Amino acid sequence: MTEVYDQGLWPWFVLIFFGFLPSELWRILSVFLARGIDESSPWLAWVRAVATALLAGVVGKLLLSPNGALATLPLWGRVGPLAIGMIAYFAIRRSIFAAIVAGEAAIIAAGYWAG
Amino acid sequence: MSGAAPIPDPPASAEDAEDLGGRSRSVWFWDGARQALAGPMLVVSVSLLSVGGLARDAGFSVEIAVASTILLWAGPAQVLFFGAVAAKTSWPVIAFTISLSSVRFVPMVVSLLPIIRTKHTRLPTLLLAAHCIAVTVWAEGMRRIPLVPRDGRMAFFFGFSFICFLGTTISTAVGFILIGELPRPLAAGLLFMTPIYFVAALTRNAKSPIDSWALVLGLAIAPLTEAFAPRGLDLLVLGVVGGTGAWLIQRVLDERARA
Repeated sequence: MTEVYDQGLWPWFVLIFFGFLPSELWRILSVFLARGIDESSPWLAWVRAVATALLAGVVGKLLLSPNGALATLPLWGRVGPLAIGMIAYFAIRRSIFAAIVAGEAAIIAAGYWAG
Repeated sequence: MSGAAPIPDPPASAEDAEDLGGRSRSVWFWDGARQALAGPMLVVSVSLLSVGGLARDAGFSVEIAVASTILLWAGPAQVLFFGAVAAKTSWPVIAFTISLSSVRFVPMVVSLLPIIRTKHTRLPTLLLAAHCIAVTVWAEGMRRIPLVPRDGRMAFFFGFSFICFLGTTISTAVGFILIGELPRPLAAGLLFMTPIYFVAALTRNAKSPIDSWALVLGLAIAPLTEAFAPRGLDLLVLGVVGGTGAWLIQRVLDERARA
């Protein structure tokens, strides 16, 4: 079954018609939706809040129902490092870099601990 | 992660004059590129390492893995795509799932595009800009682009995006070759890059209560929509409910401040 994807134009066809186009559709649509909205529009605040909540939801989903190597960690091993990362963020003058370093160190440690 | 150059905005009445803050467009392009190199490129590249490995597991070539990064430009959609192919899901179901996951681009593009474009921006440029918008570019762009003078914004945005594309193209290929040989805790660390980065970047972006509330409500509602909302639509429900909640809280706060 898998060898099929290595041959000829078929993988490109699959990627473009079942991956790229269904996804890009929304970006194209959004260009037209954005037409009536300027930077000072009250709608912009709402749209921005929806986008922020949605991205926070992506994080929640990644941590609650993870896949791959993240799924091998218990819940505390996923939520704890997020908390540690954010503590570092606020402790070290609102630094995203500090959050990443502390969070990553915590989750790798949790991985060795739990595994 | 440095801030943008402190260029004062000229008065808005200067309609006809180009608002470039005394620099050329190419200077703004390279300023965007430089700012991406200073951190965001690394984050987005690391988060796409695992996509390369998934593509290989699903039986695709390295060219397809890299093309998926350039064409889909959406880590979660790529994970879905290669995961679904590996699980031998039917093609219409794959297309439908990908499409649902990319609905989240609507609020991102609709909120960022009005900040980047000018009245003269042409449709092909807008479509290309919309294609470049993904999570990292959106989160960083919402914070950095308002600091750039109006006519330099598109150039800055493309410079920033260009470096992100370059980094991820390389990391997807590297991931394709390397992954599977990583110890499991390190692989978990790679996958954790996205959550920790999102939360820190969104926190840093929060300028008024509405932003913080959207972030907190989004995280808090996630377990509920995960359990109760129809599969595939849960994120959309979450975004609209959490975003509207935050927006209402801000309105109440504004009313109080006025009273």
